[in-house]
Amino acid sequence: MGGSLLKPVILIGIVYTILKFVVPNIPGSAPLPASLIFLYLMLTTSGIVIFATLSGESKDAFWGPIQRFLTGENIGSLQVLRYGVLLLFPLIVGWQTYNSTATSDAPPAENRTIHPAPPGEYTGLSNPVAKTPDTIQQGKGFYAAFCSPCHGGNFDGKGPAARGFNPPPANFSDPTTIAMLQESYLFWRIKKGGVGLPIEGMPWKSAMPRWEVELPDEWIWKIIMGEYDGAHQSPRTWE
Amino acid sequence: MKHGLSKIATGVVAGVLLAMGFLVAEPVAAQEGIAVRAPMVKGSLPADDPNAAVWASAIPATFPMSPQVHWPNRILEATVRDLSVRALHDGTNVAILLEYTDPSEDPDDAAAIEFMVGDKKAHFAHGQPMAQVEGGPVNIWYWKNKDAKGVDMNAKGFGTLSVQPHQDVKAKGAYANGTWKVVFTRPLTTGHPEEDTQITTGGFINIAFAVWDGKKDASGELKEKGSQKAVSSWWYFRAEAPPDYSGYYYAALAVGLALGFQFILIRKLKKGQSA
Repeated sequence: MGGSLLKPVILIGIVYTILKFVVPNIPGSAPLPASLIFLYLMLTTSGIVIFATLSGESKDAFWGPIQRFLTGENIGSLQVLRYGVLLLFPLIVGWQTYNSTATSDAPPAENRTIHPAPPGEYTGLSNPVAKTPDTIQQGKGFYAAFCSPCHGGNFDGKGPAARGFNPPPANFSDPTTIAMLQESYLFWRIKKGGVGLPIEGMPWKSAMPRWEVELPDEWIWKIIMGEYDGAHQSPRTWE
Repeated sequence: MKHGLSKIATGVVAGVLLAMGFLVAEPVAAQEGIAVRAPMVKGSLPADDPNAAVWASAIPATFPMSPQVHWPNRILEATVRDLSVRALHDGTNVAILLEYTDPSEDPDDAAAIEFMVGDKKAHFAHGQPMAQVEGGPVNIWYWKNKDAKGVDMNAKGFGTLSVQPHQDVKAKGAYANGTWKVVFTRPLTTGHPEEDTQITTGGFINIAFAVWDGKKDASGELKEKGSQKAVSSWWYFRAEAPPDYSGYYYAALAVGLALGFQFILIRKLKKGQSA
């Protein structure tokens, strides 16, 4: 038995494998949400059922084995599997019901935006300080004095004062931080600090100081140059 | 046999789809962040006894501490690097036990717990103003060794720290073997929701910590004082609600329904076969 059921099962298996494991690996793609995979599998199943019930003959060929399996009539050694399915199905239903109704034991999920949009006046500013070995060196000196306790002497976010802070201080050597940003963005973040973030940046959690009350703008621009140079990164440009 | 087939087919399709939905469902989300969880205990809370045996019934949560570098006056190195926190409640009062290593007992050793007040988010540094978000005040529970008491305070911005006219917080410290244990106690709810954090069982609220090592340096100056202290970020606190078994009841009901579905389906199939 089961010859006519094998193909649909294999087909659903292939579709699931493609959606779950192949699609996310296509360049430019992303993992599909479970709800979407479920929808596709449902469509596939409906297609199979429609196809299998087109004629009376194919209908019998399709439902016959399912019916025999469920009623346990002349299925021989598959009887064990049948009992397994009949036992497992209510248990899965019970387990899923428990998971969806039991009160959550986890703290509220936090979807913090790491690089929220800057206020308009901070977009497109260019560094007014000339980039020379001298100014870069000055910037690195300011960085060592004011920034390195948290962001680290190696620009890796692992300074001696970093451990207690959540969110952790940015790691500038990571290509997804300052390398993705323009100098004007860094100027905003350094000047206004954590409390300058919009609500999606969760400003109440950030330990980044509001340096505008302590450092002149020129020092901040020099720190930015020192940061990029020290972390071996370049600012993002629009070309 | 063919007659009842379409009805049965609908049932089988529904069952298969149902089962498939369960198989691809998202797993339960992994726990994020760290939270202090206060289980409910019967009998009185160990408000005056940091060494009481009942503390063992609370699971400790450990939080990393940083020297306070966020605003002047800063400190680049603080004594306390980790803080272990346990909590208990009895339905009326909450007791929170802070535990940390400090090589010496000093009169100016001090510790504090910070909460947000009301629904507005407050910055962890004394509820200082935020540029794009309207923040709320913080409620600070403070203890200093030489004062031997808890102080209930509020702040909304630097320089606004003030002692409340109504004091609801009690605190008691015990030093032994290079370790401080400090217990803070307060009613879960108070009559002053504008100043005091209100704790309802089952809900998560934000919590942060600060510790001062009251040791003096060679010149007689305190190493850590005022804004020069060890601090933590915001984490979570929850007074656990009494156990809720409704999830089990719903699960049992669902198992019963699934079994019934199977029973009726197979009975119908068998009837169809014999017809």
